[in-house]
Amino acid sequence: MRKTTALLAAVAAMAGPAARADTVDVSSTTMLTLGQQPLDGQPNQAPSLGTVVPVFELLNIAAHNVTNPVAQNLEIVVSGWGSYNFDTIRWDNGVSTRLTGDLVNAYIGGRLFNNTVQLRLGREFIMGGVARGLQLDGGEAIAMLPFGLRASGYVGVPVTQRFTGVVPTSWNPQAGSLAYGGRLSYYLALPGGFSGRGLDLGASVNWVNDGSNMPVRQEVGADARLMLLRNVIATGFFAYSVYDERISEGSVVLDWRAIPRLDVNADFRFTAPDLLLSRQSILSVFSASSRKFIGGGATYELAHGIGVGANYHLVLEPGSEGGTYYGNELDAKVDWHHESTRAGAEFFLLDAFENGYYGGRLFGRQDIGRFFGTADVMTYFYRHNINGQDYSVIGILSAGVELAKGFSAVVSGSAGANPLFQEQYSLLVKLAYNANYRVREVK
Amino acid sequence: MNRSLAILFAAALAATGCRAQKAAKPGETAAHGAKAAVPTSDFTHQIHLDQGIGCTDCHEGIDKATTLTKRHLPPSAKCAECHTDNRPAPSTENIPPPRLTFSHAQHVSQKQIAGKCDFCHKKLPEMGEPYPKLSMETCTQCHKHQQDFAYGRCRPCHLDLKGYKPEVAYAHEGDWLRNHGAQARPSAESCAACHDQTYCGKCHGPTTTAARPSVIWPEDVQASFIHRGDYVSRHTVEADANPSSCQKCHGPQFCQACHAQLNRAQNGQQEGVGGFQFIRPPSHNASGWANNPAAGNNFHGEQARANINSCAACHDQGAQAVCVLCHQHGGIGGNPHPPTFLSNHSRGDINKNNMCKICHPPGTF
Repeated sequence: MRKTTALLAAVAAMAGPAARADTVDVSSTTMLTLGQQPLDGQPNQAPSLGTVVPVFELLNIAAHNVTNPVAQNLEIVVSGWGSYNFDTIRWDNGVSTRLTGDLVNAYIGGRLFNNTVQLRLGREFIMGGVARGLQLDGGEAIAMLPFGLRASGYVGVPVTQRFTGVVPTSWNPQAGSLAYGGRLSYYLALPGGFSGRGLDLGASVNWVNDGSNMPVRQEVGADARLMLLRNVIATGFFAYSVYDERISEGSVVLDWRAIPRLDVNADFRFTAPDLLLSRQSILSVFSASSRKFIGGGATYELAHGIGVGANYHLVLEPGSEGGTYYGNELDAKVDWHHESTRAGAEFFLLDAFENGYYGGRLFGRQDIGRFFGTADVMTYFYRHNINGQDYSVIGILSAGVELAKGFSAVVSGSAGANPLFQEQYSLLVKLAYNANYRVREVK
Repeated sequence: MNRSLAILFAAALAATGCRAQKAAKPGETAAHGAKAAVPTSDFTHQIHLDQGIGCTDCHEGIDKATTLTKRHLPPSAKCAECHTDNRPAPSTENIPPPRLTFSHAQHVSQKQIAGKCDFCHKKLPEMGEPYPKLSMETCTQCHKHQQDFAYGRCRPCHLDLKGYKPEVAYAHEGDWLRNHGAQARPSAESCAACHDQTYCGKCHGPTTTAARPSVIWPEDVQASFIHRGDYVSRHTVEADANPSSCQKCHGPQFCQACHAQLNRAQNGQQEGVGGFQFIRPPSHNASGWANNPAAGNNFHGEQARANINSCAACHDQGAQAVCVLCHQHGGIGGNPHPPTFLSNHSRGDINKNNMCKICHPPGTF
């Protein structure tokens, strides 16, 4: 956390008199939580339940359009947190110390050469193409070329949690110690009165190696986005594992805004889950299975503040004796709001080969002036017992108040029972602050 | 607030000499859920237009304005030219600050626009109505910004994009949360025009996040947060149906960090014992799971073929993985590779990957 503090202070100092930001967004959340965790599990013994009481400070600072002589829209973004455990040390933060923390983002970015090159350096996400939102300590450059062409490249180290750990213990889904890749795309703008009408085609590559320069992931991909009509958009994605010479992922999504209040979509998705494992995993050579999802959904905004929506997908997964299991995935939702009241209900169903569930959720919120209260209840029923129990239920009550000058306070408590705890409870108290500072006047 | 926050506030305020202009982002508050109030007009345009009053009669100088800094609203004296009841001039208090780089002078000097304010201002605000927003199509009916839109090149026309939402392409409508990934993949720069990555990191940074969004914002009941409620209870069911959805965000070590702290149960433990037997799936205790290869009824291989990612949640320890004991070259477990494996890999690949050498040491294959 000391490193975090020092880094944040340094970033703030960088945004000093010589670099005045047009806007600075700040959000801070200080929260204390209290709950239970199973701890110190040993073979053939039930773990003990410990009470964990961590206090968190979550901080986001984003300065945009920082005035400077070099880059356009220079931005400095830092998002991080720190926590201190008052009682038993939590295990889900990856370290065994009372004081811990991490950075989610910490980057500086801007556009150069008359907006033709975009640079970002630091802890960031690589969002486009086959990178799949790779969290990286490194840099990315995007060049806007003539004739609708764009080229991007990135290099860095896949993020490891909590400033600790080495490659073998990284939680990063792509693991490895060096990642690099890029994307080349072409945008064909079509005339027609609205922005975004056109065809976007991209080809991307993502290479990840481990410390011995051995392959962790080697993928190439193609993506497309087509918008001819203002109410229809089609997207596609295709990824191929070069190392294993197999298709790792594919999807086609069609979204149609049938009428202003009705949105309909259909999609087909294919995944080969084993290809998302590291190529250095001993388990990566045992399977070549796949999953397919076919279905779609719709949302409709009725009158009187009522909205409804539902999605259904047929799930094709490996079944018994080498066959295919035809599973089902369904969710439906109704939402209602009127003035300062909001309520909703949800239904879920998942039918998979090994197990399945159906469940529901009811929620509501009432605002009274600066005060508000919420209630949230969820329950699930499982087809087969999980740990000897076939249901779970949890209820959450929250109350809060909007304080002056961007501050707000919330108290929340939950209680329930699930297969992992016969009973569970938690308590949260937090003070939050959100502000948008406009620094430079419009001239 | 802790020390770091105090340092930052002090540094930022000292450096900029600024003050908070408003408490929260539009549509977002600290206690998520409440919406910012929409400013409304306290003036009726239509009655004045019906009287034949021209735009520049009240908005003096607007046709020569090169920025939006000055409001060009009429003072009370202008109203008093017709009204004798000392009515106040329209208030500027509720009018949102201008966030565009725009020159009226440059535009009204164009032949097709001259004298026709309604060429752009097709709807004027009336008493009690929200201020109408000029859509992008107002601009793009003349200016071709398709390429800039695709590149996320919104400046210098837009000073910032707070509060704006895409109207056509990337409109956040329907089941946007479900579909946003497919649309963002080809054009992440367009997303970045409005969202810095702290926004993405709330859901897409599980390696470094402090907690799930539904834990941090339990009061935000209308949000479609991922893994809401006691998700850990049902994660095995969802991991079975769609292992990729887990693996895209969580590496196997993420699973092991939790499982290792609980009861990594051993053979013989029965379901429900101690309340935490779930770490060892019931299938592992069934007869024929892995204990009788000679009879040909050990079915763990079939299960592994179907969902190897579930195996990885506990058994992904490289050379120490339990699989190696039986499946190394010459072991009693035999060849574990799926039929397609050999067609995609040659013997030479063994030397390209240290992992292969664990089971295939030099000279054995």
